[in-house]
Amino acid sequence: MKKKAPWPYVLFWILISFLTLFPIYWLFVISVTPSFELFSTPSVILRHVDWQNYTEVIGNPTLRGYMMNSLLISSGNAILTTTFGFFACYALSRFNLSGKESIFFWTITNRMAPPAVFLLPLFLLLTKVYRIEGFTLLDTRIGMILVYCTFNLPFAIWTLRPTVDGIPKELDEAAFVDGASPWKVITEVVFPLCRPGLAVTLILTWVFAWNEYLLAATLTNFNARTLTTGLSEYVTTTGTAWGIMAAISIFTLIPALIVFSVVQRHIVAGLTFGAVKG
Amino acid sequence: MNVRVKLGVTAFAVALMSGTALAASNDDFWAKAAEPYKGVVLHGVTESTPPSNYIKDVLAPEFEKKTGIKVEIETTSWDQMYDKAIKDMEAGTGIYDVVYIEQDIIYSYLARNFLTDITKALKDKPELKASTYDDAKFTSFANYFKQGGDLYGVPMEAFLKVYCYRKDLFNDPEIQAAFKKQTGHDLKPATTHEEYTEIADFFTQWGKDHNMQLWGSTAQAHTGHAASWYEYFESVAPTFGVYNWGIDASKNYAATVEHGGGMNSDKAKAALKWWLHLRDIAPPESAQSTWSEVATTFAAGRAAQGLVYGENAAWIATDASKSKVTGQVGFALPVLSPGVLDDAKSGKGYVGYYDGGAFGLPVSSKNQEAALLFLEFIGQDEVQPGWAVAAPRITNTATFDAPEVKAMDAKLGGFYTMLKDEGKLFAGAPPYPFHAQVREATAPIFYDILTGKVGPDEGLDKMAAKAEEELTSLGYRK
Amino acid sequence: MKSNTFGWILLAPTIVVLFFFGVLPFLYVVYVSFHQWNPFAANPNMIYNAAGNFRQIVFDSAFLASLGVTVAFVFFAVLTEVVVGYVLAQAFMSDFPGKAFFRTIHTLPLIIAPIIVGSIWKLMTTPSIGIIPHLLQSSVGFDLNIGQSAAAAFIITITMDIWHWTPLVTLTLIAALVSLPPDPFEQAQIDGAGKWQIFWHITLPMIAPAVMATVFIRLMDALRIVDEVLMLTGGGPGSATRYIGVHIFREVFPRTNYGYGSAISVVVLYLTIVVCWLLYTGMLAPRKPRKG
Repeated sequence: MKKKAPWPYVLFWILISFLTLFPIYWLFVISVTPSFELFSTPSVILRHVDWQNYTEVIGNPTLRGYMMNSLLISSGNAILTTTFGFFACYALSRFNLSGKESIFFWTITNRMAPPAVFLLPLFLLLTKVYRIEGFTLLDTRIGMILVYCTFNLPFAIWTLRPTVDGIPKELDEAAFVDGASPWKVITEVVFPLCRPGLAVTLILTWVFAWNEYLLAATLTNFNARTLTTGLSEYVTTTGTAWGIMAAISIFTLIPALIVFSVVQRHIVAGLTFGAVKG
Repeated sequence: MNVRVKLGVTAFAVALMSGTALAASNDDFWAKAAEPYKGVVLHGVTESTPPSNYIKDVLAPEFEKKTGIKVEIETTSWDQMYDKAIKDMEAGTGIYDVVYIEQDIIYSYLARNFLTDITKALKDKPELKASTYDDAKFTSFANYFKQGGDLYGVPMEAFLKVYCYRKDLFNDPEIQAAFKKQTGHDLKPATTHEEYTEIADFFTQWGKDHNMQLWGSTAQAHTGHAASWYEYFESVAPTFGVYNWGIDASKNYAATVEHGGGMNSDKAKAALKWWLHLRDIAPPESAQSTWSEVATTFAAGRAAQGLVYGENAAWIATDASKSKVTGQVGFALPVLSPGVLDDAKSGKGYVGYYDGGAFGLPVSSKNQEAALLFLEFIGQDEVQPGWAVAAPRITNTATFDAPEVKAMDAKLGGFYTMLKDEGKLFAGAPPYPFHAQVREATAPIFYDILTGKVGPDEGLDKMAAKAEEELTSLGYRK
Repeated sequence: MKSNTFGWILLAPTIVVLFFFGVLPFLYVVYVSFHQWNPFAANPNMIYNAAGNFRQIVFDSAFLASLGVTVAFVFFAVLTEVVVGYVLAQAFMSDFPGKAFFRTIHTLPLIIAPIIVGSIWKLMTTPSIGIIPHLLQSSVGFDLNIGQSAAAAFIITITMDIWHWTPLVTLTLIAALVSLPPDPFEQAQIDGAGKWQIFWHITLPMIAPAVMATVFIRLMDALRIVDEVLMLTGGGPGSATRYIGVHIFREVFPRTNYGYGSAISVVVLYLTIVVCWLLYTGMLAPRKPRKG
């Protein structure tokens, strides 16, 4: 697009960032303030900082386990759903499958379901139906990865469809004429062109899995508990431990930011058109 | 975790000190009784509170050392704890061998035969009975977990919702003089509703006049959370003589005055209006306050007096890292209408809420024997004092006399003495198997009363009718 | 040239996974919705009730009220998110110093778990101790009380949702915008088209599928909101923010009203599908075949 003076943009973004960051700044304030001091006249400026919550969070092995579960489940689910979603989109976009638009719409209906009422059937399926001898999917990471597909796979298909549709068909056809196998066309021609869309899908499916609470709370017990369920341990009748919850949240921004910065590099313009022209 | 780690450390020390003498003679029993179950892993679910965390961090490892039976405890939030235990027992999956039973849900569980009869099970298998476990030693709180004289849950925590007041404010000569001048009598903890209101009004005004962050009373008056419903039905209405939520089980579960109930009686309406006035002069955050915010409000020194759940009383009174008012908290009985104390003494009524919970053994558990051993283990006299110090709660009468508990009682300003002497005046939730159902059905109307959308009189009429409607549809009211 | 079999093979994993974890649980919910079932009723078993639950829903004022506030919430929240999200995505299309940095900052709200988002906003808005009421009081003398004022609570939940989810819209629209071919834009500029003309006639039609997909996702996610609101207001004051997700949660969790809760869910799901289908067929389908 056209070039303009960059500074108005920078000013605009500084303003927007201030709005975005204020609640996160407040999260930090909560994490370094004892709760009885939170219950007083508030002040935007931090008066003093108490790092105690952080030392406790870092020194807690249970939370490290939750963190590991969260990372594995979100990453596994994001990769799985993005891959399946990409395949599905390619099929919907390039093949003349009967009823494909209905299938496309059907996938998204899986995301519309109000979650609370699905907990019981999922619990029953995971404990009683999907089992091999003594092994059940309840309280396993693989079980959670599969369950999270119900809301992430439709999302992946719906966000990827415009991207895959946007890749000119001439490109695949040219490759087929050159004798490439369908598999090769997908992985070597279409896949690279979809990188921005795939990156965004990967990030967002990861985020949805990372933040999910209700399903994880019901379907995990000891081995596959995630950070969000760990956070709920601090909401009790003896008091909500705002400070520790906040410290954990601030802490969990770090792995999330690493994942983001790695994936975000692929959201770059111009890939598609270079390929078309070249 | 703050609490947990600290508690863990103290607890270990205490447990080591008090445990050693008796332990030697007992170790044989635990090792022998547990022999067939060595290697079993028990799973439990409970709310993540200090007493539960003590079980998880101290008692369970100790039990494992003695028996070779590992106990994994899942600690979670209040609503999740219910949901997970119910799903497991309802579906009969057998995930949990030990479940936390809050006092108010026990009747629902008993009605569904979810729980193993502990008394009978121990009678049937005498080889599992530990000589150090005696269910006669539990406080009267254990009665809530009995049916036909048999115990269905080993009490693990119990608290009173008490009247807390700020000793520093009540003893301040300047305040005393001002109070006397304004009202004509001395400032001392209230015993009647009128006195309480007078003190509350006085302190709210005092806070305003002196530009202080101080109000006259707490109010657990959340406009979208069951905490407000509970404060009214469990802690306010009974002090006016409206017991068991105003539902009369003997009259076909009637709630309306018309059918013989009391939910919309004149007493209930007076109680609600009294409490609504307190809410108006309470700190402004009260409209968003559940039990935990009320505790924090009091701990932050923002209220001169209030009703605070007992599980919070101890840390407010002693933990300086969480409370500004340590050493300044006085405890008293809730304020009462005439006749209520007599009702309480005769067993007809009660003065406030006795809450807590027990650990029970689901029928669906596949490790009944090992779980029984664990329940006995946490019910023994000798594990109690360390537990009481680390996570203030008492369920066993022997605990009151332990020296470390007595020392703690002094520090807490007589909180345990009150539990021991006055505990019987308080009561748990009424014996209804439809606890959460009636609460949820009527709560939205209650919230509308709090926001002023409906008046208190009309609102209680509606609630009573709604309660009967729900009881009819559940099939309890014929 | 290509056989459809390969297409079905590519679709198979999606269909299989969604069948076992989406369709089967849904069938169970439908089954339960035709029963009266509360495990703590006098009769704790499932009792066949035909369409009884559905008949009851039509006259259930609590359900209808919840549906009403939900529609209002979704409308205001999603509309704002899409408009603001598009403006922000467009603002990322130019080159300026620190672009990657600002983009990262802008995505931060997404990685905060909903129960924490609810906690932050609760502590920021609690009367007397929250920073937002405090600043409003001291600057313009406005008394914001989300514990008493239905309007205040409604607006705060919307503000929270906008803060939390606008970045999602921005990100998906960035992905759509960077994939646009530059030729039509260059041509339009050569032809002397104005900014708005370019937007209406070139940009919007080209990114319409992506915008629609984003609107759909936000729409159905906003309809399902539970955690944040439970933490922030609990559905109060009164029933002012008892959105349908919260309503169903209360119905099936604490009240264990499995039968009726399932029926409500089926109705909500049905309504959502109908609305989305109308939007979908009206605005996108039939897909225009690409020229080529």
